[in-house]
Parts: sequence; structure tokens; C-alpha cells
Amino acid sequence: MSHSPARPRSAGPRALRRHGPAVLAAAIGILFALPLLWVFSGSLRDTDEIFAGLDRISWTTLVPADPTLDNYATLLSGDFGIAVANSVLVSAVTVAAGLVMSAMAAFGLSAIPFRGRGAVFAVVVLSFLIPFDAIAIPLSAVFRDWSLQNTYLGLILPGIGNGLAIFLIRQFFLAVPKELVEAARLDGLGWWGVFWRIYVPLSRPVLIGAGMTLFLFQWQAYVWPLLIGTEPAKQLGPIALGNLQGQLVPDYGAIFAGSVVLIAIPLIVILRLQRYFVQSVSTSGLK
Amino acid sequence: MARTHAPPAPAPTAAAPRALPLRRRPAVIALGFLAPALLMLVVLRLWPAAQALYGSLLHTSLLEGTTTWVGLDNYAVLFTDPDFWQSVGVTLVFNLVINPGQVLIALGLAVLFAKRFAGARLWRSLVLIPVAVPPAVSAVIWGVLYRPEGPLNALLAVFGLPAQPYLTSPAQALGAMIVMMSWVGVGYWMMFLLAGLQDIPADLYEAAKIDGASAWRRFVHVTLPQLRRPLAFVLVADTISNFLVFAPVQLLTSGGPEGATKLMMFDIFHRAYSVGDLHLALAEVMILVLVTLVIVSVQFRLLHSRED
Repeated sequence: MSHSPARPRSAGPRALRRHGPAVLAAAIGILFALPLLWVFSGSLRDTDEIFAGLDRISWTTLVPADPTLDNYATLLSGDFGIAVANSVLVSAVTVAAGLVMSAMAAFGLSAIPFRGRGAVFAVVVLSFLIPFDAIAIPLSAVFRDWSLQNTYLGLILPGIGNGLAIFLIRQFFLAVPKELVEAARLDGLGWWGVFWRIYVPLSRPVLIGAGMTLFLFQWQAYVWPLLIGTEPAKQLGPIALGNLQGQLVPDYGAIFAGSVVLIAIPLIVILRLQRYFVQSVSTSGLK
Repeated sequence: MARTHAPPAPAPTAAAPRALPLRRRPAVIALGFLAPALLMLVVLRLWPAAQALYGSLLHTSLLEGTTTWVGLDNYAVLFTDPDFWQSVGVTLVFNLVINPGQVLIALGLAVLFAKRFAGARLWRSLVLIPVAVPPAVSAVIWGVLYRPEGPLNALLAVFGLPAQPYLTSPAQALGAMIVMMSWVGVGYWMMFLLAGLQDIPADLYEAAKIDGASAWRRFVHVTLPQLRRPLAFVLVADTISNFLVFAPVQLLTSGGPEGATKLMMFDIFHRAYSVGDLHLALAEVMILVLVTLVIVSVQFRLLHSRED
């Protein structure tokens, strides 16, 4: 491509300029989606059929000849169904409890001026600079001492204390006009009222963004549930999937179906809430 | 500022509240709101970090079953252990390739998808799909794709290319891992950069165009400086997460072949639970956290000095 923008271009490059981005974007989009399309079609096949077709590429690689839901039925009857239900429960409680706690903390850090606020904020920043997976080993020893192994509480707690969620919400809260708070205080509204009736309703986008952060942390967690939830009844989805794969003769049909389930749930959340996520980033001062 | 909040409004009888009752003081109210989260952060993040530091200075004798204070001995043991240095080397190479690579690709994709063209939303959604894939799930999926008799080699065969060993070869395993991780990561970071691009005022581009700046010069002199903060955030957050990669190694290669994929997080778990020397593992945890913090602060400095 030349660097002389003044001269009129011939028809060829102009067509490329016009349709180039669309063609490129389509190619990239399809490339990213292909492995998942393959997994999805695999989940609708017999395990034997998957194996037979693994080393050949044809149009049937992506479209199963006679689709079946057997793999999903197999999954639901085994431990995997329980594991997915556990994952849903653990993530849902984490998001609910984590959001309330993080929003309260963000309110304490942004709406009420007090001496020592800087020091408290430093603790929050420090706590999200310490990578959780790296300290999971000593924390799991602490949780063993407290008999939190193989309990829902043990699985949920580490997801709730999330410094990043507090940080995101605080940045948003800082932009709430102080006059609004003063007016409400003069009208006799207590601090809890200011928080619950003014700040929270104004902050939907960032609360959704922070909720997504909390949700993805828990849904994708692997190290922690591996350390703390070893009993089959308390296993989470990703661990159960790893176990399926680790078997001597892995049932690939079931593995693919399990992958589809573990992907579909966050995918719906991400695609639906993408807009809020971007908005919360835009207003968070990360930029 | 603080003064405007001080008068307790619903108390008309309190004429001159010089000293506020304890439960009306702003610090007490604020700490009330902060208490649950602070308790969580201290118990679940800072306390175990302190424990890791303390534990890294101990040694448990297998023969006598006693735990004693050994100071920095565990660190000395690690520094003379070739396995440890191999793991450090693998982690550094992995990060030197994957972080710039992911950020550049994410930037390219963000620039592409910020343009307006037919189907932009649809194709962007397809790039975002892998973001939903948990690391353990992507490891399982790519484990099948990379099998020697798997679909990727079948695809190569269609084009008449020779089959590749992927994860079974020391030369290719780490690269195969990087491709797999980027498939998931790139779309996620693209979301942040896209948000940043959409906030750049259009008149900046108009002005540059009137000045006759080419597309490339507009990118270098308008887009990049305006995107500095989201870029810094993405680079730092990406680096932190890539220093902590664990699930794919554990599920696919167990650090092999010949230690080619033995990232530090895996080495730590291996030492703690397979070798059984928890204190040595904790020393490596401290080193990993320290290395991560140093690199992140260097990145922050570099990106901030560019401001001037």
C-alpha cells in the first residue's frame, strides 16, 4: 500500500479498502469460532464416531451425520451434573454477597471523607496485587484448620473478597455528585439510605461489570477448588471435566458435552452484558 | 469537605455539637461500611501472604517430623537447583512471547473492530466466544485438537503438510501452549482496548486528516497516545495472569516433555504435593510473587514515563 493519499486510487485497491475490513473480520471471527463449533458438533456424536473421524477432515467434521443428545444424558446422570449445579450455586452466591460487600466498601472509600482513607485504600490495592492462585496453598492450610474443606463456604469465601471489584466500583462512586449526598443528608436520610437509595441505583453499569468480574473469577477457578473441594459431592465443573479427561479410556462424547455446558453459561452472560462491561471499564478511570 | 458532612441534620436540639458522639464520627461510619470487605481481604489475601512468607523460612524434617526455623535456607536450596532455574527460564520465555503477542493482537483486533462495516458486531461476538471458555476447558479441548492423530494434523494433511508433534515435542510444546492460551485471552483484552478506542474524540482524527497525516501516522500520533492508559492496564493485568498459568500445564503436559512447559506455578504445586516439601514450595511462591511485582512496576514506569 502506498503512502500517497492525495492521488486517486485505481478500482482494485479501492474495493479492497472498502471490503477489506469486513473480509478480514469475517475470516478472523470464523477462525476463533471453529474450535468451538467442532466441540459442539462433537458433543452431538457417539464417542466411537468422534474417534473414527478424528484423523480425517471433511464436511462432517463440523456437522454430525445423525446428531444425538446421549452424551448430555450420560453427563447428567453422573457426577458432572452435580458439579455444574455446584458451580452455579457457588458463583451465584459469590456474585450476590461479593457485590454487596464490595459496593459497601467502595461507598466507605468514596462517599465518606475520613482520616486514614488513603491507608485503607492502599490495603485494597495491595490485596489485589497479591495473586490469589499463588497464595492458595497457605490459604488452603488455614481453611483445613477451620474445617472448611469440602464445604460450600470454603469454596465461596475466597471469591467474595475481591479488591478489583472494590476498585472498579469506587472509581464509579467517586463521580457521584457530592451535592446530591448533601441534599439527601439534609433531608434526614441516613448513610445507609444514601448508599442504598442513591449510590446503588445510580451505578447499575459498574455493578454489572464488577458482578461479571466476580462471576468469571469463580466460574473459571481451578486451583482453589482442586485444593479445597476434593470430595465428589463438592466438586466444581472444571475439576469434574478434568477428571473425565484423566480417565484411562476418556469418553470424548461426554467431555465435549461437558465443555459445551461449562462454556454456554458464561457465554450467555458475557454476550448479554458485554455493553455494561465496556461501560464500567470506560468510567473506571482505567483509561 | 469534611466539615459540610459534620452537622447531624435530624437533631435540632443539638445546638453546637463540638465533639461528635462516637457512632456519628465519619471514620466510624465509613469503617462500618468497610469492615466486611476489609475483614475478607485481610483474612483471605494478606494473612495467607504473610503465612507464605513465614512458612518459606521453615523446614520440616521428614525423619524427625519436627519443623524448625531455617532462615533463608530454602531460598539457597532453590538457587542451587537446576530444576528451579529451568522453571524460571520457561516462565520468562513464555511471558516474553505471550504478553507482547497477546497485547499486539488484541490491539490489532480492537482497531479492526472499531471500524464500521457490515457484520462487525457478529464477527466481534465470534472473537469473544473463547473468552467464556474456562482455562481447564480450553486445555481439554486443545488437548484433543493437538493429538498426533487429531484434527489439526488432519487439516495439515489436507494441504499436503507433514504432521506435527505439538505437545509431545520439547521444541513445540510451549508454543502450542501459547497459541491455546491466546485463543482465550486475546478477545478478553480486546474488549478493554475497544472501550478505550471508542472514547477517543473523533475531531482529533479529523484534525490529523486535515494536516494530511497518513493512516499510519494517525495511528502512531493519535490512537496510541490516547490509548496509553487502557494499554498499560491490559499489559499489566495480562502479565499477572500469565505468570500464574497452571491448569493447562497440569491437565496437558505435567510440565513435560523434558520440562519444556514447566511453568513456575506448576513447579510450585509439584514441589508442594508430589515432592511434599511445602516450605520449599512456599519459598518459590514468594519468588514468583516478587518477580511478578517487579515486572509489573517496571511496566508501569515505562508506560508512565512515555507520557512526558
